[in-house]
Amino acid sequence: MTEVLFALSIGILFGIGVFQLLRRDLIKAAIGFAILFSAINLFFVAVGAFEGDFAPYVSNVEAGRQTSDPLIQALILTAIVVSFGSFSLVLGFVNIISRRYDTVDSNDLNKLKH
Amino acid sequence: MEQNYVLLGTLVTPLVGAILALVSAHSNRLQRSIGVLAGLIAWVFCTALLAQVHSSGVQIYALGNWKPPYGIVLVADALGGLFAFMVTTIMIGGLLYTFHSHDKCMTYPAFVPLFLLMEVGLIGAMLTGDLFTLFVFMELMVLASVSLTAISDDHYGLEAALKYILISSMGTLFLLLGIGALYATFGTLNMAEIAVTLLTGERPLLAPASAIMLLCAFLLKSAVFPFHFWQPDFHTTAPTPISAMLSSIVVKVGVYGIFRLVTLLFIEEAPLLERWLSTLGIIGILFGSLGALRTYNAKRMLAYSTFAQIGFILVGIGWGQPLALIGAIVYAFNHAFIKSSLLMLMGVVASYTTTKTANFADISGIGSKLPPSLGWLVLIGGLSLAGIPPLNGFISKLTLIQGGVERQDWANLIIMVAAGILTVMYMVRAWQRIFQQNPLPGTVAAKDEGDSLFAPFLLICVCLLLGTVLAEPMIQLISETVRQLGDPQIYISAVNLPALEP
Repeated sequence: MTEVLFALSIGILFGIGVFQLLRRDLIKAAIGFAILFSAINLFFVAVGAFEGDFAPYVSNVEAGRQTSDPLIQALILTAIVVSFGSFSLVLGFVNIISRRYDTVDSNDLNKLKH
Repeated sequence: MEQNYVLLGTLVTPLVGAILALVSAHSNRLQRSIGVLAGLIAWVFCTALLAQVHSSGVQIYALGNWKPPYGIVLVADALGGLFAFMVTTIMIGGLLYTFHSHDKCMTYPAFVPLFLLMEVGLIGAMLTGDLFTLFVFMELMVLASVSLTAISDDHYGLEAALKYILISSMGTLFLLLGIGALYATFGTLNMAEIAVTLLTGERPLLAPASAIMLLCAFLLKSAVFPFHFWQPDFHTTAPTPISAMLSSIVVKVGVYGIFRLVTLLFIEEAPLLERWLSTLGIIGILFGSLGALRTYNAKRMLAYSTFAQIGFILVGIGWGQPLALIGAIVYAFNHAFIKSSLLMLMGVVASYTTTKTANFADISGIGSKLPPSLGWLVLIGGLSLAGIPPLNGFISKLTLIQGGVERQDWANLIIMVAAGILTVMYMVRAWQRIFQQNPLPGTVAAKDEGDSLFAPFLLICVCLLLGTVLAEPMIQLISETVRQLGDPQIYISAVNLPALEP
């Protein structure tokens, strides 16, 4: 049941993310990018979280309990840091562009078209 | 398990250099010296590493001394070592160029640290044996190069940077999704361990899907059709040394990834992937060469030409047999030197104009006011790009075409030779417009002083050497590399051996 819920929510997040990323408004596009990244983080959780029921401490491993996969959490933390870095960089660019071009509409950013 | 500290040194040197450069932000001159010094030390490390790889086999370094399947492991095999060597060599050229440049963006305190971080990302992506670390290093490289383009002197740099970061982030997302799918199926991120499972012929549901996702991400990083549209803008508007790096070595990260996909991970699917790669490569060759012919800006012309050159490499990978792979690697290696030197030379030409532009309308006929050696260097570089005999471009075209003749793929060979003629056309025409024509009436006068010719001169010298004296050792080195690529067991046993011990 949880797996179906996870699959559904990942799908919905992907849909929203792609839709937002294709918007003309650059701020919305940047937020769509962040949503897509959370969808992928959720995908990572979904593929690795259901192996065991206990936290992967050494004491739990020694007691013979089935622990969950610790690597997934390390991966997600790293992915969050990376996505946060690129998201803030995108927002910084949008901020400067909004001042330089007086718009955040991607249709008006056409100075490179000759 | 033997830890190779030279391998660690190649990565740590530029990282420490970046930190030192950040700390010494008060003095721009000191920052640039630190940059050149870090680049040189990293080059020495990489050369030593390449020598070790060829004398005593694949070198590994397990980070934090965690045993390979559990921890992150750095692996330098012949391919990774060669590509890292290429990256560090060209990086020295780029860092030297910043030393004598008058661009305003190079006086910003963030410039040299970002440049060195880009080098960390590049070397790391080529020397890591762990898929997730590959993703992290590639993202480091992308973020550094995007920031460097955004602070470019070119007013449109920011627009190009935003365009690229949105597109590249999509590529990154699919890379991450592909890596996630691989982890879900195999329960490991170590490339060697995944390769072991894939070699047994087992094909879980998600494996082919992740192969396609990884391939698309690598094609996007290399700017191959249909993922190419950001490339000319991004490579044209970047500051000169950065655009030289982007167009020569950053696009090679994708090529490296594709090599890993078809020779280590998905060997069984390789024929299918290769058929796609040669089709995309041929489209790239046609589109890039024709695009370069009709463009209005010298740097943009070279950016379009990068499409065509990446296309040549992909066709070589697409043919797939050892001789063609040798051709592809030789092509990738030589193209990096030629393209970086040519872009720097165009940057020098542009630095003599008052607006620092490389538009043909502004630089036509400027040559009479430039140092005469500049014209000769551009001509040598252009002829090398087109593949005229005494230069290294000829060696790469020759080896690649040998591969094609062995494969008897005549249709593609004709297109490739025709594209070579187109290359001569656009390079010689650009050279004539800049150095042979009389200035157009109303053109702004050239400045007395521009960027130094030293770095591109050095790189052109390397091109000349690679075409003559060093040609034979280079071919031997690369033949050995391809021999190692032909047997994935070499890579796998080097990484996994410690894990097999009880």
